[in-house]
Amino acid sequence: MRDVVEGIVLALFSLVAIWGAWQVPAASPGDTWAGIVPFAASVALLALSGLLLLGGLRATQTGHDVAEGGGTGTLDILILFAVALIYQQSFRWFGYVLPTAIVAPVVLYIFGVRNWIGMAASVVVCPLIFHIIFFELLGVFPPYGEVFDLLDWFRG
Amino acid sequence: MEIFPALLSVITDPTLLFAIVLAAAVGMIVGATPGLTASAAIAMLLPITFYMPPLFALAFLYVIGKSGRYGGSVAAILFNTPGTAASAATQIDGYPLARAGKAGKAMKVATISSVIGDFMGDIMLVVGVGFIAAIALKLGPPETFAIYFAAFVVIGSVIGKSVTKGLISALLGILVAMVGLDPISSEERYTFGSFELSNGIGLVPLMIGVFVLGEVFAQLEERKKAKGEVRENESDPSGHTLTYEEFKPCIPHVIRGGFIGAGIGVLPGLGSAIAAFISYGEGKRRAKNPEQWGKGALEGVAAPEAANNAVSGPSMAPLLTLGIPGSTIGAILLGVFLIHGIQVGPTLFLTDKELVYQLFACGMLGIFAYGIIGYFGATQVARLILKVPVNVLYPLIFLTAFVAAYSARGSMFDVTVMTVAGFVGWLMRKFDFNVAAFVISFVLAKGAEETLRQSLLMSDGGALIFVERPIAASFLLLGLAAMGFRIRSIMKERRIAEGGLGDA
Repeated sequence: MRDVVEGIVLALFSLVAIWGAWQVPAASPGDTWAGIVPFAASVALLALSGLLLLGGLRATQTGHDVAEGGGTGTLDILILFAVALIYQQSFRWFGYVLPTAIVAPVVLYIFGVRNWIGMAASVVVCPLIFHIIFFELLGVFPPYGEVFDLLDWFRG
Repeated sequence: MEIFPALLSVITDPTLLFAIVLAAAVGMIVGATPGLTASAAIAMLLPITFYMPPLFALAFLYVIGKSGRYGGSVAAILFNTPGTAASAATQIDGYPLARAGKAGKAMKVATISSVIGDFMGDIMLVVGVGFIAAIALKLGPPETFAIYFAAFVVIGSVIGKSVTKGLISALLGILVAMVGLDPISSEERYTFGSFELSNGIGLVPLMIGVFVLGEVFAQLEERKKAKGEVRENESDPSGHTLTYEEFKPCIPHVIRGGFIGAGIGVLPGLGSAIAAFISYGEGKRRAKNPEQWGKGALEGVAAPEAANNAVSGPSMAPLLTLGIPGSTIGAILLGVFLIHGIQVGPTLFLTDKELVYQLFACGMLGIFAYGIIGYFGATQVARLILKVPVNVLYPLIFLTAFVAAYSARGSMFDVTVMTVAGFVGWLMRKFDFNVAAFVISFVLAKGAEETLRQSLLMSDGGALIFVERPIAASFLLLGLAAMGFRIRSIMKERRIAEGGLGDA
């Protein structure tokens, strides 16, 4: 069943890719079409998705389909991914320091840390260490928070 | 002979020597930490190398890669958990030796074998690379495209359990690389009107996402699944020393493993895990004591260790001479070359020959460094790793991934790309797609497209140019043959498995 679902998802993806390649304008005389590789790759992907789908259907019919019990930990991954998405977006809104101070103990908690002192320390230590290494020693310009930037506030 | 002045110039540079020793130690620790890979460490450190001179950056990451391969054996022998896929074969005999109180002996055999294998690979690289580059200079676009095609097919079909999923992974890598402006006509492709997408997907955030964040997701999942405990190994004082008499039977296995690893290393995509298992299998077949293999034979540690480290040097040959990375570490190193504006390919030996040989020299000194650290300090490194709480380590890696992705170009879009790539990387691992094929194809796609379109312009749009030129045709056939052999071997394995089930 898993191969069938994977085949369908990839087939849909390849159809979007074919459509996207088709949007590339035709080549000017004496040149090659810029869409040739994307088009060829997406058609090949469609063909392979078909193979995957057929293999999955055949396995389902012959009873060789392997039941997957892979749900363990998936919810935690989805939570961590959601945290990651919010974290990267909050860089744009609040700069680097504040989101890191909030996310550090959250991620520690997700990974099973229950030491409240350690988690509290991470609020200060993590942004500080990363700030010193990347933004002071390496001289990278820190991301500026559009809504509120704690680093800017510290610097007055 | 260029290697000798290169060695001299590296030895006389204390900063570079310090970087090599540091990289050897970092690589060993990373390789020995279960779940952490040298690829992840290199991807995470990649943005830092923006601020280093090219040789310093390349040497630092190259030595981490070498030392990381060796470091995997520490975890395989002591914790029964291979630190890298390449050290899974070492675990077969390494862990029983550790259980029997001979961990120190096994570690010393692994260190000596790794050092000899790695040196053999590097010497072959130094001797052969100029010759390959000279041939590569004579290849035209059709031949180069055929080599790219063969690399895509081999990488997609040989690594992993499923040829279909491997090829799909390679195609996904190609499609992602196509996002942005076409370098020849400046037409937009897959940008969907987004300005940020028109700049394309960056190599650094993609690598950090797939290898670092993806690994963090995978580790979180692993932690939920496995709640096992590590059993303490027995300790026997005589098990820590290794005599020449004990190592003597290992020597033929080490030399054979070195040749197997070097041969496999030149072929893109096969990698050190395959070399290690082939060397182990071949070693057992030829061994005088095959019944001991799997129960704690020192030769069973020597054979795979020599082979998996011998891959390291020769795997640089296709990267440096053709611009085709043979491994994920090679793909990341290609990124370093590009970041520093160095064009990789046959012309590299005309424009930056000195740099290339200095890099080889750094690699050789790196082998020496990890050999010394490993021989005298592997057990201490293992103790140090056991003290690092994993539930603190991975959150730190998680946070570092974001700031590292941002540091590369100071772009918030890169951070978004890294986050999405991390999730996609985890999905690919979960559903048995091939992450290595995805990343290597992403790196190769632009070069392959350029040579394809140049070939089509040469032939006025006719695809027969690839068949009419013998070298190009041979490489196309090589790719198809590799895929055919792989499909045949998978079907054979499946028949055996079904037969086994039927008997049961």
